[in-house]
Amino acid sequence: MDKQPHMRDDEVLMRVRDLKKHFQVSAGFFGQNPKFLKAVDGVDLDIRRGETLGLVGESGCGKSTLARTLIRLYSPTDGVIEFNGADLAKLKEKDLAPHRRDIQMIFQDPYASLNGRMNVRDLIAEPLEIAGIGNDKSRTARVHELLEVVGLNKDHANRFPHEFSGGQRQRIGIARAIALNPQLVICDEAISALDVSIQAQVVNMLEDLQKELGLTYLFITHDLSMVKHISDRIGVMYLGKLVEIAPNNALYDDPKHPYTRALLASIPIADPVEARKDNQDQMQGEIPSPIDMPSGCRFRTRCPLATDLCAEQEPELKELADNHKVACHYAE
Amino acid sequence: MSSAPLLKVDNLTTHFHTSRGDVQAVRGVSFDVRPGEILGIVGESGSGKSITCLSILGLLKANGEVVEGSADFEGKLLTGLSDKQLRTIRGDDIAMIFQDPMTSLNPTLTVGEQLIETILAHKPVSRSEARKRALELFDLVKIPSAASRLDNYPHQFSGGMRQRVMIAMALTCDPKLLIADEPTTALDVTIQRQILLLLKDLQEELGMAIILITHDLGVIAEVADRILVMYGGMVMETGDVYDVFESPQHPYTTGLLHSIPDVRSHTKQRLTPIPGSPPDMLRPPEGCPFAPRCPHAIQQCLEAMPPLFERPNAKPTVHEARCWLHHEEAPKALQSIFDAPEVSNG
Repeated sequence: MDKQPHMRDDEVLMRVRDLKKHFQVSAGFFGQNPKFLKAVDGVDLDIRRGETLGLVGESGCGKSTLARTLIRLYSPTDGVIEFNGADLAKLKEKDLAPHRRDIQMIFQDPYASLNGRMNVRDLIAEPLEIAGIGNDKSRTARVHELLEVVGLNKDHANRFPHEFSGGQRQRIGIARAIALNPQLVICDEAISALDVSIQAQVVNMLEDLQKELGLTYLFITHDLSMVKHISDRIGVMYLGKLVEIAPNNALYDDPKHPYTRALLASIPIADPVEARKDNQDQMQGEIPSPIDMPSGCRFRTRCPLATDLCAEQEPELKELADNHKVACHYAE
Repeated sequence: MSSAPLLKVDNLTTHFHTSRGDVQAVRGVSFDVRPGEILGIVGESGSGKSITCLSILGLLKANGEVVEGSADFEGKLLTGLSDKQLRTIRGDDIAMIFQDPMTSLNPTLTVGEQLIETILAHKPVSRSEARKRALELFDLVKIPSAASRLDNYPHQFSGGMRQRVMIAMALTCDPKLLIADEPTTALDVTIQRQILLLLKDLQEELGMAIILITHDLGVIAEVADRILVMYGGMVMETGDVYDVFESPQHPYTTGLLHSIPDVRSHTKQRLTPIPGSPPDMLRPPEGCPFAPRCPHAIQQCLEAMPPLFERPNAKPTVHEARCWLHHEEAPKALQSIFDAPEVSNG
């Protein structure tokens, strides 16, 4: 079961620098002082070829906006997205096309993301058609092949999404996503809507596909147990910023940011003995509005360690141990 | 364990009449809820866990019908009561909260207004007394700056705070039983933990019983006293929460536990999913509903419905599992799968 993500440890597939995505939420009085929702507010991130990079954080932390900006569903406000020698952040729509096939996305709700009026054959062939690959016949053959790969079979090709269970629909979504042999697949809460027993089936399949096809995953989830299982490295986001990033075991064994500690302490553990041990990192309060952000460190309003320094100065993301970066004045 | 049960559900059977036939959502479910305990009901979508509770409260959709069995609350038979009779019991003695509080609140009224209305509907008090009570309830569910928050509208609350408002509303009449259906599923883990601990505090403070319905074994492990595992509209296993997690006696329970990664493990191990998918409740299998997906199933499992077998000497309360492998004539080699907890991850 061992993946070997460290074989080509240094090869960065996507390099993200100071990426920002702000949404204007009110025009302001006569255009003065417009308000912005800073969903993603200066993120640096390297996604390495062949790895699974997990991204976690509470709702509203900007993880899904980040994903959508990376594939240019949103135009970034500022920053750099280096991918295959191009800066996706700056490219015009028409110049993006050749890169689009290399980055695919799997969404949370396969029922909402699959057109209910198209049969499975057409759904999976659609990306091939858009990319202008093959003819009708060769595309059908490729669809049959893809169905096998995701654990369905070619008899399913003529059916419609509503005839499938949630787990099967997610398999169709995955077949669509890998149809063009992408390099990077972004899984945005891809297993969150599935039942526990089906989640494990889909996760195992994603792992197999990664090995067979050499895929790189950006795995976005709020499930802190599953993200540890599937990821090589994990980034923790809070209010539009990356506050900590580390290899999975290092993050869970030695979380250095107080937010990460509180997040990990909230994981529901399926063992009553463990689950009922008192822990002191219980999270206080709720995530503040990304429109009126706290000054300095964004986490300080909920942080047990916060001091005046935290209100005045925003901490930078610093490497404190091998591959382990943290943005906290008091991390050691 | 000696006290009389607060709620006694006996052989509850609920069908939904559809154009394709009857969906057998609940098939002969029996359980007790004791005063002051938290009973966790766990199951996947379609297992019948929510429908069981909606049946008890008479909240089924028009095509749903309790075709057999009964629910008895403090000696009063709930099944068969008129809507009007049920309504008084629902507000006063039994309260319910749901997954999405936004849909349960009126967006055009302040939450204070809605809470006060609820209090006035159930208690013979003046408006100002009702407002005082509303404030107490907000404090009880730990909503900060309660007085000013009363005048806010639902959209001004976060998901976690809205769920607190719903809990406050549910507590209006000091219910003896609170039914919470996936109360934390839509919330972040950090907020989930806050709400679960709040429920636990309230149960201890007010001495009310809680039925906690969830798909998440972690949630059960966190707060429940007893657990009921449902699958295919039936109770598959039930017992004390420590006992069941330590030595599950049904292959489905074991399968569920193995499907989730162990966050404490350091070595990456492949997950062990349960193969296949849940049964079609229009035509549920004749035998054990889990048999088609069960790695240990024998011929008997496919042919006949197993009864609940009691585990000998279980502590501190009865531990039962619906599995033929507990029958004395089952192959010894298969019986031994329950002896020691299998080591799953690391």
